[in-house]
Amino acid sequence: MSSQEMLRWINEQFKGTNQLTEKTLDYENKYIVLFYVKSMIDKALLQKIIIKPFFEMANEHQLRSYLLALPQFQKVESKEQLLFEITNGYTLVVIQDDLFLFDLKLSKNDQVNTTTVETTIHGSQLALSDNLLTNINVIRSTYHEPSLVTEFFTKGGANKQKVAMIYDKEKVNKDVLNIIRKRLQSVDKQVISATTQLNNFLNNKRFSLFPQMIMTERPDRIIYNIAGGKVILLEDGNPQSLAAPVVFFDFMTTMEDNYHTLLVSIFLKTLRYVGLFISLLLPGLYVGVTSYSPEVFRTELALTVAGSRIGVPFSSFVEVLFMLFFMELLLEASIRLPKVVSATATTVGGLILGTAVTEASLSSNIMVIIVSAVAISTFVIPVNEMAFSIRIVRFLLLVIASLFGLAGLALGLFVLIMYLVSISSFGEPYLRFYNFQKQKERTEEHI
Amino acid sequence: MQKTTNKTRVFILLILSMLTLLSGCEFKDIDKVTFISMIGIDQSDNSDKPFKVTVKLYVPTSSFKQSPKPQYAYLTENGETLSEAIRLLETHSDKKLDFGHAKLVIIGEELLKANKEKEILDLLIRRPDIQLISWVAIGRPNAEEIIKMVPKSETAAYPAIFNYFDDNGTESPYSVSTFLFDFRRRMVESGIDAILPIIEMEQEESQFKINKAYILADGKKPHELSSHNTMLYNLLSMNIDIGDLIVNEEGHSFIAKIDTIKSKYKVKVQNDNQVRLDLDIKLFGYVSESKQSMQTKSLPKYNQLLEAEAKKSITDFFTEMLEAGYDPLGFGLKYKATTLPNQRMSMEEWQDAYKNAEINLNITSGLKSTGTIQ
Repeated sequence: MSSQEMLRWINEQFKGTNQLTEKTLDYENKYIVLFYVKSMIDKALLQKIIIKPFFEMANEHQLRSYLLALPQFQKVESKEQLLFEITNGYTLVVIQDDLFLFDLKLSKNDQVNTTTVETTIHGSQLALSDNLLTNINVIRSTYHEPSLVTEFFTKGGANKQKVAMIYDKEKVNKDVLNIIRKRLQSVDKQVISATTQLNNFLNNKRFSLFPQMIMTERPDRIIYNIAGGKVILLEDGNPQSLAAPVVFFDFMTTMEDNYHTLLVSIFLKTLRYVGLFISLLLPGLYVGVTSYSPEVFRTELALTVAGSRIGVPFSSFVEVLFMLFFMELLLEASIRLPKVVSATATTVGGLILGTAVTEASLSSNIMVIIVSAVAISTFVIPVNEMAFSIRIVRFLLLVIASLFGLAGLALGLFVLIMYLVSISSFGEPYLRFYNFQKQKERTEEHI
Repeated sequence: MQKTTNKTRVFILLILSMLTLLSGCEFKDIDKVTFISMIGIDQSDNSDKPFKVTVKLYVPTSSFKQSPKPQYAYLTENGETLSEAIRLLETHSDKKLDFGHAKLVIIGEELLKANKEKEILDLLIRRPDIQLISWVAIGRPNAEEIIKMVPKSETAAYPAIFNYFDDNGTESPYSVSTFLFDFRRRMVESGIDAILPIIEMEQEESQFKINKAYILADGKKPHELSSHNTMLYNLLSMNIDIGDLIVNEEGHSFIAKIDTIKSKYKVKVQNDNQVRLDLDIKLFGYVSESKQSMQTKSLPKYNQLLEAEAKKSITDFFTEMLEAGYDPLGFGLKYKATTLPNQRMSMEEWQDAYKNAEINLNITSGLKSTGTIQ
């Protein structure tokens, strides 16, 4: 296809819209034509590196050599690529019959954000940005290995977002890499607007409770995962990345664990696991113990609980459900609300509701303590995705405990563990505590 | 077709979610349960219904801070058997009686003298909600009076009497505490005899007094131990490490406070089924009270005096035990455990041999100080 035909085709594609700008430069027997989408390009840059040199160059030959030497230069391979790049912010330069593409894209979203989801005290406070290339830049500039590979995919039938898959080709788990690549290629959705959507599209399951990939916005976590042989997925326009494969215990670690002294991080980890179990089991335990086997309590506690339930009209599990439901509402509301209003919501919900509920004896004092303990311990789980899953599991365990008592709760926990053992993340066991295979390989290497 | 299945699905889901709001039979809210704090079993005057069961119930209050005074309710019922009495007790209460928190079982002294403790034991062991880790004690003059007494020092929710038995409150060498499971084991097992503390009341009925014990054995009259012997039992069985021995000899008069005791017992069988009990006891402690001034350099002398005194006391204790044929320290069990079955004498033979046993007592005392700084 000749360049003339290509230009005609491009013009046809943009026909009826006033998107494409055509600019003809003609001065001292030099003649070029520029095509670009005005809203996508950096006009100052265009002026500086193309228009200004055009008027300073002695002849077209020199201009052509100059343009070819520019780092923004890219070759034209097909008309589809040409069209895609123009919509993507490239500028097309026509000299005689030759077509040259120049990346003059203007990005307003390449500022690196500060961490908002995974905040830490130690370590970097910077997260990823919304811009894919900036993100790759951030990753590359902290991971200096030539083996780092970036593969690009274009996903989303309608919005055609760029998805990047980053891994260290020497350390990566090859099986996982192949599975992810295959599944990524077979993803067929019209609009993909967030990286975390891929979590659902890649796991091949309709109902899944636990996340199969870990979401992170911290570059240090990404580097840590790449070095550990994981695959990172990034999408343009998204400040979050996904890492796969994962085990359950990944969701219970923060990057800070590596930055603290050993004993401090052991303490913090213990705290987190205790929090996990409290938030999972406490509501169920309350119902199971108060209604099925009160002899588990200390006598004083049993009497206090019995006393504080005087006048409460509901049985214990309705009471727990009722309070947990309001807690969940409060949690959800404080996420969705504008920041200005959310402080009021917490005050009204937490303080006023909490005290008023006990004043009106709709719920016992101890119940309010339990619900707040549960709410606080849910926040201890460092990765947000897992906290959401735990909130659902908690309700399931509560229902089982209200039907079958403490024995049911124990069995429910057992079933949960069995479920976690049965699932896998891209072929890797989800609840793997320790990787014997890897350790074996490592020792063999040493020998 | 598709529509109807969807409808049934929705219906089932709805019903299921509504079902969770209904409580089942096993489900019992904690405010519909009354907790029993202790059980008393007496002999009643009615010979048709010989068992009289008294239970002490906790009355729950919404806040112990607002009402720190203890509040209890009492239920009493006679019955032909214990289970009948308990069944009838349930008709006295609007809430479910829960034995799960009953920490103490008091058996009336008269019932004990009528040798009915085995009958009682059966129900206490079989009933699932009675904890095997509850304590068993004898009530003097009867269980009901002990149960109904609330001492002045008592605070809400935790009866003062429990403090005598658990290791959190008072730790006196004069009171023994026996768990239900241990009581049963000692009753059933041959070669070791059960020991139960006696709960008495002070004259003014404001405090309990627990410093004596009964030794029980199957088919024998219960034997009462004096306070001194109870303390010696506690020391010898190493239940409690502390104890006082009063030395009053050779013009010296002091009290040795024992804080550590190490003892080794051996059962040696000689020819003709003659049993020798080898007791090797080491006592450590200091002088806690003295009428004379004491010199640190003469500690060896005091040790000798203490050894002599301890030997006398312990020999007296064992003589009393052997004469009555009681074996609270479990020498018979030790003999059974360390002898092969074909070389072992029968339990009857052992009983006779035990009564005529020779005691070989070897006491080493190690007073560490005279208790004062010179």
